[in-house]
Amino acid sequence: MKNSPFVSGGRRPCWLVLGLVPLLLLSACKRDESGGAPARPRVALIMKSLANEFFLTMADGARKHQATHAADYELIVNGIKNETDLAEQVGLVEQMVAQQVNIIVIAPADSKALVPVLKRAQAAGVRVVNIDNKLDADALKEAGLIVPFVGPDNRAGARRVGEALAKQLPAGAKVAIIEGLTTAFNGQQRRAGFEDAMKAAGMNIVSVQSGQWEIDKANNVAAAMLSEHPDLQALLCGNDSMALGAVAAVQAAGRTGKVLVCGYDGIGAIRPMVADGRVTATADQHADQLAVFGIEAALKILKGEAPPADQTTVVDLVTK
Amino acid sequence: MHKANWIREYLALAVILVALVLLFGALSGRFLTPATFGAIANRIPTLALAATGMTLVLIVGGIDLSIGSVLALAGAVLGVALVDWHWPFAACASLAVGVGLVAGLANGALIVGLTVPPFIVTLGMMEMARGAAYLVTHSQTKYLGTAVEGLARPLGGTGLSGSFLLALLVVVLAQWLLSSSVLGRWMFATGSNETATRYSGIDPRPVKLAAYALTGAAAGLGAVCYAARLGASDPNAGAGLELSAIAAAVIGGTSLLGGRGSVINTFFGVLIIATLEAGLAQVGASEPVKRLVTGAVIVLAVLADAWRQRAAGNSFLLWQRLLGRTTGRPVKT
Repeated sequence: MKNSPFVSGGRRPCWLVLGLVPLLLLSACKRDESGGAPARPRVALIMKSLANEFFLTMADGARKHQATHAADYELIVNGIKNETDLAEQVGLVEQMVAQQVNIIVIAPADSKALVPVLKRAQAAGVRVVNIDNKLDADALKEAGLIVPFVGPDNRAGARRVGEALAKQLPAGAKVAIIEGLTTAFNGQQRRAGFEDAMKAAGMNIVSVQSGQWEIDKANNVAAAMLSEHPDLQALLCGNDSMALGAVAAVQAAGRTGKVLVCGYDGIGAIRPMVADGRVTATADQHADQLAVFGIEAALKILKGEAPPADQTTVVDLVTK
Repeated sequence: MHKANWIREYLALAVILVALVLLFGALSGRFLTPATFGAIANRIPTLALAATGMTLVLIVGGIDLSIGSVLALAGAVLGVALVDWHWPFAACASLAVGVGLVAGLANGALIVGLTVPPFIVTLGMMEMARGAAYLVTHSQTKYLGTAVEGLARPLGGTGLSGSFLLALLVVVLAQWLLSSSVLGRWMFATGSNETATRYSGIDPRPVKLAAYALTGAAAGLGAVCYAARLGASDPNAGAGLELSAIAAAVIGGTSLLGGRGSVINTFFGVLIIATLEAGLAQVGASEPVKRLVTGAVIVLAVLADAWRQRAAGNSFLLWQRLLGRTTGRPVKT
């Protein structure tokens, strides 16, 4: 018989696979909610990837908040495995509707694709609050859906980071932008914010390429930009992971101090680099508070204390 | 392979590589500079190590999908050992290689011990190792500081880093293993026809186990190079690395069904992928164009290698390659 990795002899594999089924089902089951008085509203927090430090911090902040306000609401936290797995997130929304939660607080993985399922959720009587990544205004209008957004203004935040960087550059300096996933709304907003700041300061943007939010992809792109433009003076990165990759590329090219780097998010690993000047500026979106703001807005809406209106959260500039 | 044929063996891939370099040289005024080649050499080690391991498992007729996740786990453990336990770098690096080796042994033991298909076992390991990497790092990228960067720093005057030379050494050793050692011959035999190998008195199980263990260790070593290059330990490291490694191996003429492959040719595949990525970024190609071109070049490189074989008078092998068959004669089953 031809030997192939996809086919196996023997019978034992069947047993193994059968044995795995209950295991998989078990792991697919969500953490059961702490039991309590049924009067408490049930809030479902639906995140993007909890493997991402930023969203994990957000979820942890929400859990802490719930622990100190245990009498006010019940919290169910869920995240998807892969940031671009829209189908999984749509499935989570459906699951939460089936569990009859009172309100869904969601950081959508896509600003358009989640609109139909959220419309179905609202039709089923579940309120929706949008955090982090804003749902597309046109898609909402077309669906006839009103969803309050609680979150940062990425474009304004990126503009401030860009302005802090521009202060340290001579006018007309050559700069390059390493953006996140080109399909992500917050990535597009940050790129636009960087471009606003660079144009206002009269800088020369010589290249814009995607590092796909990732450290090593950004490292490769940055290395290529540095060889292509020997007089490059700054790299503006759409998040801090990509800024880490850019810093490594600048070091490898022996141009530390000659090429400034800035990021966005304010993750832990970037702090020592801000302190020693390898990263000029980043933005702190207070990830731990983002979901909490969303939950607080949700609770107020539920009680009828507040109209479902948009709310912009603070973004702080982080420099040395 | 006859020794006299080695130039012909490597010619097709070398031509593609040179063509790519010249093409990007024409498109960008600064591509043909030491800085560019330094940057390419700097980024190669991780993929070269992963692809070398992948070539070994493909030759024995297996596949290892867990290579990127195992790399992330080994890197995560390295980061914790260095930052939280304050171990010296050499000890952390050994630990990372050890973690990779253990994961590879676990893959191999499940595959040969329980005869579970490698695709399933390593798919499971891909998920488990990734999950473990998130657990170990609390899903946070760890900043490692300057202790790890020595390996990635260019060595006196050459512009080549320690990582690069290390990866090159592993490639040479692996090629020696395949073409000059008994274990290497057994690997080809196992991948060509496992049943015949067993009937000829060789137990294929330890051979396969060795291939997976070596691949795991290579992923661990890849993690050390990754950490050295980026100065950080990143739980998301190596996502999709298994596919790049398979692409490099296949460009180099390794068969996905076992029994055929060469580490040197795989290294050419790595060079082609790395040159392509660096060149496209340097000319500032847009994201969709990058993907279109990369995919097209992978297919073209495999076709070019197959055409070379037809030119060498073996049209039979071409059709075998295109149809995915690999043994010397059609096998009746």
